[in-house]
Amino acid sequence: MTVAESIFENLRLELRRGCLTLAVLAQLRQEHYGYTLRKALALRGLEIDESTLYPLLRRLETQGLLASEWREEDKRNKRFYRLSNDGERIFGELLKEWQAINAAVTSILDSNDNSNS
Amino acid sequence: MELLDRYLQAVKKHLPWQRQDDILAELRANLESQLEDQEAEIGRPLTAAEVETWLKQIGPPIMMAARYQKQQYVIGPAVFPTYWYVLKLATFWTLAVYAVVSAVLIFSASNPGSSAVGAVVRVPFVLMNTAAWVTLTFAAFEFAVAHAWLTWPASAISPEGWSPSSLPPLDKQAASGKKPRSYAMALAEIIFGFLFLGWLLLVPKHPFLMFGPGATYMEISPFQLEPVWYTFYWWVVGLNVFQLAWRCLDLDRGTWQGPRIMQQVTTKLLGLIPLAVLITAPDRLLVTLKHPAEDQARYGGMVHMTNESIHRGLMVVCAIVVLQVLWEIGQTYFEEFRKRMSAMH
Repeated sequence: MTVAESIFENLRLELRRGCLTLAVLAQLRQEHYGYTLRKALALRGLEIDESTLYPLLRRLETQGLLASEWREEDKRNKRFYRLSNDGERIFGELLKEWQAINAAVTSILDSNDNSNS
Repeated sequence: MELLDRYLQAVKKHLPWQRQDDILAELRANLESQLEDQEAEIGRPLTAAEVETWLKQIGPPIMMAARYQKQQYVIGPAVFPTYWYVLKLATFWTLAVYAVVSAVLIFSASNPGSSAVGAVVRVPFVLMNTAAWVTLTFAAFEFAVAHAWLTWPASAISPEGWSPSSLPPLDKQAASGKKPRSYAMALAEIIFGFLFLGWLLLVPKHPFLMFGPGATYMEISPFQLEPVWYTFYWWVVGLNVFQLAWRCLDLDRGTWQGPRIMQQVTTKLLGLIPLAVLITAPDRLLVTLKHPAEDQARYGGMVHMTNESIHRGLMVVCAIVVLQVLWEIGQTYFEEFRKRMSAMH
């Protein structure tokens, strides 16, 4: 990996990290267990490694943003996650932040495009 | 399935023991569901080779388990800048003190060669020792903060507890960079330089000018200075003439405002010559008795002790000057390097 590729990879991971948390919180407004959550996110174009997603769920639960319970489904015990009350509130705030950043970046890109043309 | 069991067993070994079973049960459920999905998709069980490829995609067990661990630092990003600053400071001062002490020990040793080699060989151990202690201290601090036994002082982390007026004043170097030497100051330095030189030249004929009433004592005392002091004296005079000439040239060329690093470093390096003259005096004799035959028994011990003390003092001064020169040269080169790097970016 060249230096430029390594820099890009680090920046990409940094950019993705926050976005993944937001996407996971958004998807967990409906209840999921780990694998179905991964599938649901992938279906919408967001692929996440198992080694990233499953520990992330644990971390968000420890932080009180998710609630979980063990339940049997298809003859197998699975841990189901959904947003907790705190999680819903914080997700709302994060979403506003995300929308503001998105609008600002879009506006910057638009203004640059206009000045170039 | 055997391969999956082996994979999970390997993951378990690296999981935090308090939550090991819970995490493993969840991971097993997720991976088994995924496996079933894949098998349903292709309509047959996965072969051992396919399972191996799939597990390879998921990643090594240790990496999977590592993500479940709390993020831990020996020294975290909040403490690291302070740690790095203290480490640099501690290693520099350790090296400086070690150099001075070693220089004195080498020159007073019976075998200076082997003593010097020993001192150089010990340098990495001395530096590693210092670095280890600094690192241990900061790691202990990080550990204490992570376990909430200690908290950061409010002034370090809260915007309310910090005030710009509490910032340290500008460095002398930065301040002097903005205020170049004035012409009057450069001229005054030359005038005082000539006055000092005149005074210095009068001292041999009128020792009173340097020693005050002590000059009379020198005349009647049983002690005398060795001729090596005259060599020392003329080197000092020469050095002052050199410095004055340089300053006059600066004034003549109009370069008195520029930095004087070269002039300072050269003067200090030349200043080592008169010191070396005294240090290398034959048998370290700087003070002797006027009438050794009569006074040796009474003052011989005192003379020996005086010569040894002056010799050791000179060694220390010499070591300090060398360190000063190295420090100034290092600072100049570092500043140049820093400027070039910032120009490149």
